[in-house]
Amino acid sequence: MAGHPPTANDHLDRSIARLLTAGTYLSVALLATGVVLMAVAGRSPLAGGPAFDPSRLAGDLVALRPEGFLWLGLIAAIATPSVRVAASLLGYLRRSERTMAAVSLLILGVIALSVLLATITET
Amino acid sequence: MADGLLMIAGGAAAGVFGSLLGLGGGILIVPLLTLGFGLDLRQAVGVSLVAVIVTSGASAGVYLQRHVANLRLGMTLELFTAIGALIGGLVAFLLSDRVLAGLFAGLLVYAAVSMLRRGRADEAASPEDVEAVPVSMNGTPFAQSLGGPGYAVSRLGLGAAGSVGAGVVSALLGIGGGLVKVPVMHLVMGVPLRVATATSNLMIGVTASASAVIYLLRGEIDPFVAGPTAIGVFLGASLGSRTAHRIDLRYLRILFVVVLLYTAVQMVRRAVGA
Repeated sequence: MAGHPPTANDHLDRSIARLLTAGTYLSVALLATGVVLMAVAGRSPLAGGPAFDPSRLAGDLVALRPEGFLWLGLIAAIATPSVRVAASLLGYLRRSERTMAAVSLLILGVIALSVLLATITET
Repeated sequence: MADGLLMIAGGAAAGVFGSLLGLGGGILIVPLLTLGFGLDLRQAVGVSLVAVIVTSGASAGVYLQRHVANLRLGMTLELFTAIGALIGGLVAFLLSDRVLAGLFAGLLVYAAVSMLRRGRADEAASPEDVEAVPVSMNGTPFAQSLGGPGYAVSRLGLGAAGSVGAGVVSALLGIGGGLVKVPVMHLVMGVPLRVATATSNLMIGVTASASAVIYLLRGEIDPFVAGPTAIGVFLGASLGSRTAHRIDLRYLRILFVVVLLYTAVQMVRRAVGA
């Protein structure tokens, strides 16, 4: 695609690409830190990890417990695609592309519904 | 920690194979964790979903930067894959481990057959033949706005229906869903194969995250398993994408078909309780 002046689409693609890459490497770095801490603590992956408890996250991170970094890495990985859609929504709104903005909003709505349904039907 | 190292190594092998053969690592992670490490199928699916999000993220960024992936088309279809993933994520908790194992066995056989057919097509056709698809100007103005350089998008309704199916399969079985999405985009919607593959990769994140969040909140993702596995798959996929051009894929494809069929037999045994 080289050789033509960058279009608004090109700019949005590049911004989204940077965001995706940054989110991915952030989650990989957090997960890798958690795995190293697991090894240092001699924890076996098959021993069964702790349940997800958001209220413990900050304490686990400060105490350098592996589960803190692993949970944060998992959350970063799962949230990155939604952040990408939110960034697209802003990009399309800025360019007054109403249909694509509505598509972005609907995707975020479906993901929010997933969170809601998983929370209210939590086992 | 020997188990952790084995998990990283197993994840890396799944990532290398998946990346070399364009299948993604998901199809091997679930059998690795269930048959190799004795995890429940649902737990393995949850971990696999996280691994495919991580591995697709980096490559999707590259595809977008190079303008191979079509962001507008991908976002339009991922609305439907996300709906499918939401349905699949909820249905997965209503099905028994045996039913899921049976479904996974079916997926493995389908993947093996697709791989064999792709191998024959690659040998018979030049790269230009594979890329050659008719450019159609049919469809609504919105569908036309989703096209790219040299191609138009047609049959958006069928593409949307196929995407819902891809989302359900992804959420039930922990795969990226490219096995469904790529044929739908290429054969049904007229999108060039290279663009369909890249756009499918871009869509994996949203599709998998819509169901991964259900697995996470319902306690089916173990961070101590997900961490080493995701790191292994990420490293393997990175290595695979850098070495793909140096490897003769013909023999690797045959080996992979054998592995897929052997794994399918093991999954059938699990499904029937043998």
